[in-house]
Amino acid sequence: MRARLPVRIRLVALGALAFIATPLLSLLWRVPWSRLVDLLTRDVVTDALLLSLISSIAAALAALALGIPLALQLARMNGFAASVVRAVVVLPMILPPVVGGAALLFAFGRRGLVGSVVSDVTGLVVPYTLTGVIVANTFVALPFVVLTVEGALRALDPRFELAAATLGANEARVTFRVVLPMVRPALIAGGFLGWARALGEFGATITFAGNIQGKTQTLPLAVFVALETDREAALAMSVVLISVSLLILVSLRDRWWPVR
Amino acid sequence: MTDSAEFLLDARVVLDRGDLHLDAELQVHHGEVVAVMGPNGAGKTTLLNALLGWLPLRSGWILVDGKAFETPEDDTVTPIHQRGLGMIFQDGLLFPHLKVAGNIRFGAAPDKDLTSIIETLELSNLLHKYPLELSAGQTQRVALARTLAADPKMVLFDEPLASLDVTGRSRARELIGAALSENLSGALIVTHDPADAFALAQRVVVLENGHISQCDSPAAIQSRPQSRWVADLMGWNIFRGVGRGTSIVTPNGTEITTTGLQSDGEVTVMINPASVALFPERPVGSPRNSWLCQVRGVQLLGDIARVSLSGPLDIYADITSSAAAELVLNEGTEIWVTVKATEVHIETRPSVD
Repeated sequence: MRARLPVRIRLVALGALAFIATPLLSLLWRVPWSRLVDLLTRDVVTDALLLSLISSIAAALAALALGIPLALQLARMNGFAASVVRAVVVLPMILPPVVGGAALLFAFGRRGLVGSVVSDVTGLVVPYTLTGVIVANTFVALPFVVLTVEGALRALDPRFELAAATLGANEARVTFRVVLPMVRPALIAGGFLGWARALGEFGATITFAGNIQGKTQTLPLAVFVALETDREAALAMSVVLISVSLLILVSLRDRWWPVR
Repeated sequence: MTDSAEFLLDARVVLDRGDLHLDAELQVHHGEVVAVMGPNGAGKTTLLNALLGWLPLRSGWILVDGKAFETPEDDTVTPIHQRGLGMIFQDGLLFPHLKVAGNIRFGAAPDKDLTSIIETLELSNLLHKYPLELSAGQTQRVALARTLAADPKMVLFDEPLASLDVTGRSRARELIGAALSENLSGALIVTHDPADAFALAQRVVVLENGHISQCDSPAAIQSRPQSRWVADLMGWNIFRGVGRGTSIVTPNGTEITTTGLQSDGEVTVMINPASVALFPERPVGSPRNSWLCQVRGVQLLGDIARVSLSGPLDIYADITSSAAAELVLNEGTEIWVTVKATEVHIETRPSVD
């Protein structure tokens, strides 16, 4: 048991907690609970809900598919190279999402570096489509997967890999039968964190995929629009977003970030 | 390089790791169990890791059953998983996400019958447990089963019993011995416990400071230690002194006569407690080293009585318990202590510690 903190510090800590909690509680205070179901079944809302669900789950899966190999590689790197790669990976976490969306346009837009080639060859256009929403969501979800999984991999005793190899397991078997199963909690945590982040994504989505109801308008975008036109619907959708995020964080407890 | 067909393992491991410069050559015959002993930091685990292919050789060779696994000269390196060398780690390193059965099965051929291994190591009622639920002794037995199930050409052990308590140790030692004799192709056991080495191994290699200082049968290690570390381990009397003529002079001025002319430098004197004789009267004749000492205590170890003495030399004597009874040794009893010059062993390299 540690000693108690001075009263002043405890007061400030309480203030910090209140600073975060007050806006959320104020929002919940204004929610028209009795008409919640009615509000959530409106067209605009159901469209956005479905779209958010599809795009965020797809993005979480894509982030896992791309992020796990990158984490495996990153965990084996050291020194300057590792720092550079990690900085690039973290960038979408810190970057203003609007800038991320703009960057995506320059890369995958109709005239973008990669997008022009893709649309010439396949006729596929990414921006302002559901695919665009998924790409934008994956872009912001990926860092959560990579960092969570890399942290777990680095904490893993490398001698487990040696032990598996002495039992005749080649690199693939070591990876799939020993390393990945042993970091399974981190894979789950990374996936859910990425999902939560994708679900809340606003800036990159609106910049790269637009705001078309039923096509690219996800929940956060719908909330933003509804704040001007239909406050009660905005509040109802906010309740959904807050509950989902809170549920994920609570169910992951502290496994989502290396606390200990 | 020796003709390797006659050896299961023929290796010379040369590599640098931090402050350690390891240069050790050793062979293991087919069916032989060899123990590697040595102080902490001597390079024992490094040696095993190099044999496995976890650490690269700078030079030397590793041949198993005549097949070259690693020869830096021509860039031959066989990857770890193709070497067929099993390894038992100090802490077992069972895969925590697999049950005992899954662990044992991990490296086994799909159609391999594992019943006899499971029975020999008494694991039948542990198969559905997870490694976290096992005791240290059970963990090591599962680790051995897992390794043997993979049909290794040879098994390497890194302090396999270090994490076990005394009763667990002797039981685990028995089971390891049984499993080894049933499945034996050959084994290398790193240990710091002479009991492990003597119970399981036919030959003992002593590794000190990256180099092999002695390679002998357990009996020879016990009766003729070649270094201070081994002598200390075997419970020998160890004194520091300076050579003067054919004698060694200890810091308090006691002269110990030896058989040959000694160099002037600092030396370490090693005397087997079994070579120390006790007499109630001053002996006459051959033993030239005799000192009058006082008994400090007597400890009975089975048939042997270990007598602790103080005087010109603080020394231990191992005599039969019947002899001890005849001499009537009480605390403070004065008695003559003698050591033949031929029983005085010298290490010229001064010990560092």
